[in-house]
Amino acid sequence: MEVLREKVEEEEEAEREEAAERAEWARTEKMMRPVEVRKQETTLTQETLGELEKQLSEIQIPVSAELPTFAKDTIDISALPVSYKTNTPKEEQLLQLADNFSRQYSHLCPDRVPLFLHPLNECEVPKFVSTTLRPTLMPYPELYNWDSCAQFVSDFLTMVPLPDPLKPPSHLYSSTTVLKYQKGNCFDFSTLLCSMLIGSGYDAYCVNGYGSQDLCHMDLTRDVCPLTVKPKETIKREEKALPKKYTIRPPRDLCSRFEQEQEMKRQQEIRAQEEKRLKEEEERLMEAEKANPDALHGLRVHCWVLVLSGKREVPENFFIDPFTARSYSTQDEHFLGIESLWNHKNYWINMQDCWNCCKDLIFDLGDPVRWEYMLLGTDKPELSLTEDDSGINDEDDVENLDKEDEDKSFDMPHSWVEQIEISPEAFETRCPNGKKVIQYKRAKLEKWAPYLNRNGLVSRLTTYEDLECTNILEIKEWYQNREDMLELKHINKTTDLKTDYFRPGHSQALRVHSYKSMQPEMDRVIEFYETARVDGLIKREETPRTMTEYYQGRSDFLSYRHADFRPRVKKLTLSSAESNPRPIVKITERFFRNPAKPAEEDVAERVFLVAEERIQLCYHCREDHIIASKREFLRLSEVDSKGNKIIMMPDMCITFEVEPTEHTKKLLYQYETLMHLKKEEKLSRHQVWESELEMLEILKLREEEEEVHTLTISIYDTKRNEKSKEYREAMERVMQEEHLQQVETQLDYLAPFLVQLPPGEKLTRWQAARLKDECLSDFKQRLINKANLIQARFEKETQELQKKQQWYQENQVTLTPEDEDLYLSYCSQAMFRIRILEQRLNRHKELAPLKYLALEEKLHKDPRLGELLKMFT
Amino acid sequence: MNRLYDSMEPRVIDDDMLKLAVGEQSSQEETGELAKQEGILFKDVLSLQLDFRNILHIDNLWQFENLRKLQLDNNVIEKIEGLENLTHLVWLDLSFNNIETIEGLDTLVNLEDLSLFNNRISNIDSLDALVKLQVLSLGNNQIDNMMNIIYLRQFRCLRMLSLSGNPISEVEDYKMFICAYLPDLVYLDFRRIDDHTKEVAEAKHHYSIEELKHRENLMQARLEEEQVRREELERHKTAFVEHLNGSFLFDSMYAEDSEGNKLSSLPGVSELLEVYPSKDKFVIICVNIFEYGLKQQEKWKTELDTFNECVHEAIQENQEQGKRKIAKFKEKHLMSLSAIREELEMPNIEKMILECSTDISELFDALMMLEMQLVEQLEETISMFERNIVNLVGLFIENVQSLMAQCRDLENHHHEKLLEISISTLEKAVKGDLDEDLSEDVRALFVDKDTIVNAVGASHDIHLLKIDNREDELVTRINSWCTRLVDKIHRDEIMRNRKRVKEISLYIDHMKSELDNLEYSDILD
Repeated sequence: MEVLREKVEEEEEAEREEAAERAEWARTEKMMRPVEVRKQETTLTQETLGELEKQLSEIQIPVSAELPTFAKDTIDISALPVSYKTNTPKEEQLLQLADNFSRQYSHLCPDRVPLFLHPLNECEVPKFVSTTLRPTLMPYPELYNWDSCAQFVSDFLTMVPLPDPLKPPSHLYSSTTVLKYQKGNCFDFSTLLCSMLIGSGYDAYCVNGYGSQDLCHMDLTRDVCPLTVKPKETIKREEKALPKKYTIRPPRDLCSRFEQEQEMKRQQEIRAQEEKRLKEEEERLMEAEKANPDALHGLRVHCWVLVLSGKREVPENFFIDPFTARSYSTQDEHFLGIESLWNHKNYWINMQDCWNCCKDLIFDLGDPVRWEYMLLGTDKPELSLTEDDSGINDEDDVENLDKEDEDKSFDMPHSWVEQIEISPEAFETRCPNGKKVIQYKRAKLEKWAPYLNRNGLVSRLTTYEDLECTNILEIKEWYQNREDMLELKHINKTTDLKTDYFRPGHSQALRVHSYKSMQPEMDRVIEFYETARVDGLIKREETPRTMTEYYQGRSDFLSYRHADFRPRVKKLTLSSAESNPRPIVKITERFFRNPAKPAEEDVAERVFLVAEERIQLCYHCREDHIIASKREFLRLSEVDSKGNKIIMMPDMCITFEVEPTEHTKKLLYQYETLMHLKKEEKLSRHQVWESELEMLEILKLREEEEEVHTLTISIYDTKRNEKSKEYREAMERVMQEEHLQQVETQLDYLAPFLVQLPPGEKLTRWQAARLKDECLSDFKQRLINKANLIQARFEKETQELQKKQQWYQENQVTLTPEDEDLYLSYCSQAMFRIRILEQRLNRHKELAPLKYLALEEKLHKDPRLGELLKMFT
Repeated sequence: MNRLYDSMEPRVIDDDMLKLAVGEQSSQEETGELAKQEGILFKDVLSLQLDFRNILHIDNLWQFENLRKLQLDNNVIEKIEGLENLTHLVWLDLSFNNIETIEGLDTLVNLEDLSLFNNRISNIDSLDALVKLQVLSLGNNQIDNMMNIIYLRQFRCLRMLSLSGNPISEVEDYKMFICAYLPDLVYLDFRRIDDHTKEVAEAKHHYSIEELKHRENLMQARLEEEQVRREELERHKTAFVEHLNGSFLFDSMYAEDSEGNKLSSLPGVSELLEVYPSKDKFVIICVNIFEYGLKQQEKWKTELDTFNECVHEAIQENQEQGKRKIAKFKEKHLMSLSAIREELEMPNIEKMILECSTDISELFDALMMLEMQLVEQLEETISMFERNIVNLVGLFIENVQSLMAQCRDLENHHHEKLLEISISTLEKAVKGDLDEDLSEDVRALFVDKDTIVNAVGASHDIHLLKIDNREDELVTRINSWCTRLVDKIHRDEIMRNRKRVKEISLYIDHMKSELDNLEYSDILD
């Protein structure tokens, strides 16, 4: 392809000379192209016309009854900027270049389809595909990684099939329009996704190529839902420790090796048969599931995104299907071939053979034999190291681009598309109208925007038994922002078992609640967040007749309590479960080992047989023993048959001790143990009763919560949080009022004079001058008045002081000390007042001229007078 | 000084008195009744009150092994004695007696509260063993030396002290002194010491206390050093190579060698000792032995550890199996027992009981089988270990012996040289041109050839003997260690086996008797 490049270069050099000729040629080309395309089409349809039509009609049925269309006439282009409607000279130049390139290409490779270079945009202006990419870094941290980006694009847009499945579309709209209408075909999807990925620093490309039928129609009905796939358990291979030097030899094996072998053989045969049968069955199923082969296989045009390794720590190249947001390896069989690919800087044509899908393709874009590039300059994207730190930010990128442009022979013009903008509301609502349904193989996934459903439901996965999706197997519902912290509700339709999963924070510390009915005393299992509970309860299981509790981390080392009940005795009075607890038959309690006690005194299990009045104790087993001690107390009645009081008889306690000790044989010890146990039994019964009550309470609470299902709103969520909204509004109101007050306090110094004039009339220049003079003279008068006032007060004070002084001098001899004191204090006060008045007067004298000047200045600037006065002066 | 009781006959603690005292203090309710029915063993008693009994001599208390609290106040005791066995004692009251010296408390390491109020004690000592002491009451005694307070500094837990009514409490500085020297004290003479007093006291006695502290620290440091050294030596001893990491052996060779020392003053000999590097070489060999020994010790230790670990694992595994078997049996047994209880037909019952007893004996067989299997396995392992350890020890001895032989060679060499010098000196002496500066007793050796040869020979013999002794000691000790180790392993294994067999048979007996009882009661029914 060296020839081709040389030709391009030559073309560029001779560009100016041939300008006129070129323009003419371009015009003819434009006219010619449709003809060419039509020709191509006819050759295709001649071959497969009948099948194609049939296929098309078939295809459209399962997907949707009415396919959404993205007709051009519905688009409002009036609000779009100029760059959308016209081409800059540079863009024109690029288009010419592209046409030339395409011409040479079709000349050199006459058997390949024409290139997808410059489709029309929504304003019917041809635009080069690379300039349609607008690298943008989104302001949402959730959209920083490729997976969430792809998920967003696939959720946000509704898929519209290509008008002709065998050809690239004639129009490629800008991302602005696509986002506005939330619709698009695979090219629109890819363009948007690619823009976002390049913006957040990935080395991403739009790929024009051929995909499988499922891929092109976003048909997931033959794919297993990713949510139903259980993560494969990683089997940890335990490293077998090397046998140590003194490891004992295993006992001699006395079985016949031959017999074992025979047995093994027999087993293997059976297994093989079984496997064969299973395989056959599987094959049969597979056969049923497999769709009839696609007649247009390998011809369906699709557009997807390629991400190359290197940037953003991407370890290897992969494809992203923009419809489903799933990533595929580059060897995936859904991708059947690549025509060309482009990013915002360049355009490459695939020169490799795609006979084996994309499996043998090598994505080394710097290799001119495999990838023919269109523009020189940016030929080896992955070899230029300086680009690595750019690309994080689109602005950087743009700058870099500009810089590069200076020294390269030809450059890609700047994108004509506006920056991609997604409003926070749209981002949160995601799917069009906040709802989206995806059909998988034997599963249906529904998604909603948060807060769309009143009960907080955000997604529901329904799993079916059969391919036709009629028999529901199970339903999983995910919730968000629920006040009761419900996260997931799992309903198994076959067993009718419901399981609720909670996040930490429920008022009763619930973690999991699985049940069949909400009636009390039925089969149910409740798990708790044990750290949130004081009693360390982990799990409580209930059946109609039993209740089992599991504990962890208690100071009394209780680990398990199991209670057996008898059916409730019927009472004449109407009684609820609360007032009439079921009689307890047996309580079993197990304990962890208490390291502070010796093993033979540390009870491992105790059983209270309430009905038989028996208590069984089983102790922990000592480290070097294999048998644990036990003790059983019988007949706990305190009165014997003759009515005599018995305290303790030797036959009331049966003991087995592994290492008999002296003091445990004593009746006293036994009696004390028994007394203690009796007390414990009472406590345990009380505990069981309390647990029952708690269960009732939990069930009541759950029912209430289910009915109310209030949603919590984060305090940072300013839109939904009513309280904060009110508060904010109140604040705003207060602010406004304050502002108003401030405005009011700024007195209108012109008002009294304006009132004299007839209202609503425009001031004349003369009037304005007079107004100003009046205002100023009035102000001057006021200043003088103020000065006079201060002066008068000052004089008055001085006079008074003088009088007093006179009086003092006259009566000085006859004055009592008290009077003298009074006089002196008066003097000092008066002096103080006089001094202050003096200061005021001085300050007034200083400030008055300044104030006067300030007013004059203000009047000058007053919008009502300013203009007129300016002319006047 | 209990004048009230002076008129009464002094008594000695005897059995009757004890029984009475024990009986009196038991409660009056059911527990008490039960206790009385059965009788109380002295060793179960936790507290004992023996006040106002005019006791002169403490005796017969050795049975109260678990006693926590003992009250002997208001008696006429003159000597603290007979309390050696009451090691669990926490609370001891000896107030209002006639005790003059503190003694006989050295075994009561758990004592926290000691009251010696109103006695005739004049000196605080013999309390070193009571490291947990918290409360010490010594009021109304005759303590008159302030230095007694410094003795109390060693009790880190002491929080309460009473010394009022002693001559020292009359001293002006009494309170300040105590507060300063016992900073951890909280109550003095039943009053709380406030922080202010503490501060003042500390300021007042600041310098002397600092000095005291310094001295105490030095002592502590020295003790720790000593400890470290002792531990090091202990470690070397377990490797059987103590004192071989220096010239200790060499020095000891010359320590008792009078002839050799005499000879060393000969003109050529001192050069021989210095120039001829026998000492250096000797020490190097010793150090070699030492290091080799330490290395070998590591080896034995890892060997022993692996062995212990493996044996432990094996036993654990076996126990797990046993436990599983028992658990399985228990489940089945419980089922069949309840079935028997519900069964009404006599022949059926008999059949079931028979089944049960076969089950029990099957369990017995299974458990015993497991045990026997373990015994066999362990026996094999133990003998393997024994073989290995004996080999290791043998190798060690061999190597040490060869090193020791090198030492001997050196000594022989030295001996020859020495002899040569001696003979030449003798010749000189015969010729009469002996150096003047030789001492008289050295000159005495150079009388004739026999004398000098004998002297040199004696020195040589002593040296060789030292080396032989050291070698012998090493070999015997390591051999005895080896035998003891192996013996202990065997013994432990036998003990384990006995215990397990006993445990199993006890359990089986219990099960059988339970079944018999059931049978019996059934027949009765």
